[in-house]
Amino acid sequence: MIVAENVCKSYQNGRTPVLKGISLEIGDGELAVLLGASGSGKSTLLSVLSGLERADGGRVNVNGEELTEMTEKQLTDFRKRTVGFVFQQYFLLPHLTVEGNVKLGAHLAGNRDYGREIAAVGLEEKRNRKPAELSGGEQQRVSIARALAKNPKLLFLDEPTGALDEETGRSVLDYLLKLQKERRFTAVMVTHNPGIAELADRVIRMNSGKISETYRNAVKKTAYEIAW
Amino acid sequence: MTVSLRDGAKLLGIAVMSGCAVFVCTFFLNFYLDARAVRGLVEESVLPLYEAQILTAKLVCAISGGCLLLVSVVLLAFYVKLYIDSHAKQIGILKALGYDGGKIALGFWVFGLSVLIGTAVGHGCGYAISPMIYRKMGGEGLPEIPLTFHGELLVFLVLLPTVAFAALAVGLAYRRLRAPALSLMREKEAAAGGGKPPRRELPFPLELRATTLKSKKSLVFFVGFACFCFSSMLQMSASMGDVASETMGAIIFGIGIVLAATSLILAFTSLVTANARAVAVMRAHGYTLMQCGGTVLGGYRIPAYIGFALGTAYQYGLLKLMLGVVFRGVEGVPAYSFDWPVFGIVLAAFAVLFELALLWFTREMGKTSVRKLCAE
Repeated sequence: MIVAENVCKSYQNGRTPVLKGISLEIGDGELAVLLGASGSGKSTLLSVLSGLERADGGRVNVNGEELTEMTEKQLTDFRKRTVGFVFQQYFLLPHLTVEGNVKLGAHLAGNRDYGREIAAVGLEEKRNRKPAELSGGEQQRVSIARALAKNPKLLFLDEPTGALDEETGRSVLDYLLKLQKERRFTAVMVTHNPGIAELADRVIRMNSGKISETYRNAVKKTAYEIAW
Repeated sequence: MTVSLRDGAKLLGIAVMSGCAVFVCTFFLNFYLDARAVRGLVEESVLPLYEAQILTAKLVCAISGGCLLLVSVVLLAFYVKLYIDSHAKQIGILKALGYDGGKIALGFWVFGLSVLIGTAVGHGCGYAISPMIYRKMGGEGLPEIPLTFHGELLVFLVLLPTVAFAALAVGLAYRRLRAPALSLMREKEAAAGGGKPPRRELPFPLELRATTLKSKKSLVFFVGFACFCFSSMLQMSASMGDVASETMGAIIFGIGIVLAATSLILAFTSLVTANARAVAVMRAHGYTLMQCGGTVLGGYRIPAYIGFALGTAYQYGLLKLMLGVVFRGVEGVPAYSFDWPVFGIVLAAFAVLFELALLWFTREMGKTSVRKLCAE
């Protein structure tokens, strides 16, 4: 479970406040979507909840671990044990093959069965290709496989379909939902697309560094049912 | 302009390298030219001493100045190439926006400016120190050698290198810019051909280390060459005490240290720039900074020590050859043999400095976060 209480974060020595007293709860196994316009603070909140960045104030508790009290070393260990990341720009290592990139995640968890993750995202045939030889959607699927190869309890996704066209975006989300259903990890996804929010168990809408609305979807749609 | 003032530290490195090389060349070449002009005034009795001084100037200039200059040229050329490669994406974006390739390439003339600053300062300092060198090089019975300004040295040591480097930088940039904008915007390594399955399964850190090295061959050469310079310059300057005066030895040693340190710093800053992204991604996933450093930078130890060994062999061979050629038939010149104590000291200093640099630059790489990458 992720619990944040009165989380504040600013840049430029406090001159640019980005998060202004955020409080939220995300239950185990949920898919939560942070929804908001560009500059609303959703990516910063994702970074703080995942231990990539520290909050300036307030507290963040993840599965009983107090992130705000951790040293840099402990935060690194927390990310290693608990968190998987999927970024909008994929951030694959260009000199590694698909398999090599997935191993980057698998190695941390001592997971030797990383072939399963490659198969899960449908890239078995292309395991020896380099990122430049893959389409955007395929690269994002590699990035998902890399994150899942760590067997994370929490998966953080920052605009995972932001750089993809509609068809590819839907297929990536479909994969993701399928895997989340199978493995029951908690997922927190940032998006500016209200349609994608219809996939979520919980939607947290942000505006100017604050939560403006939180609600649960009574009916979750599939990746092919949502508006794009 | 594609090369901005934010690159000042790197441009300063280039200025320091070219300045050091020109500094040594200036006072020895100046002395050589001035001393040659007074040959007719030298009395028969002190002719051997005069010849010895001329030979020393020629030797030191050829070994130190000439080699330093050559080494600087190679290093700078590689540095410019690496710089352009690491800015290919930025250049590609400009090109895609419709900027003319030739105009973008012209922005790289700034490398010539930094060479101009370095060589001008080096030449000025070399000229300023010349009276002291002339006093040291002079001897009892030798005619006074007047210090004369040689315009041709200014041309050959300052103006020509400046123009040559500006042209080299612009030319390399222009050549790179002939590629389509899209391929420039893609990662260079990414454009490399498809991967073959590895011949044998390596533990992942070793596999990552090997692929990192394989994908950055220019950097491997650059690091190896910087270590080659470190090894050859320090050992050569320390060993030159046998053939040059103490003051001369000290000057050359000092320059050797500055140049060796500069080349290592240039190599390491290039390493950091080229690998910061990989380290940021690895850290986000939970790799510790030390694991990242060990995996990404640790692989450069092998080319570094190979460079050091080659530098050792090179300086030994060159000194032996030059002494044999220049002092052939001159009596009283000590036979040159390999200087084991100097080798031991330089190797120990290198090992310590290299490990410290790895630690320091690993920390530097840790400053690039995924958030920074996202913002770029």
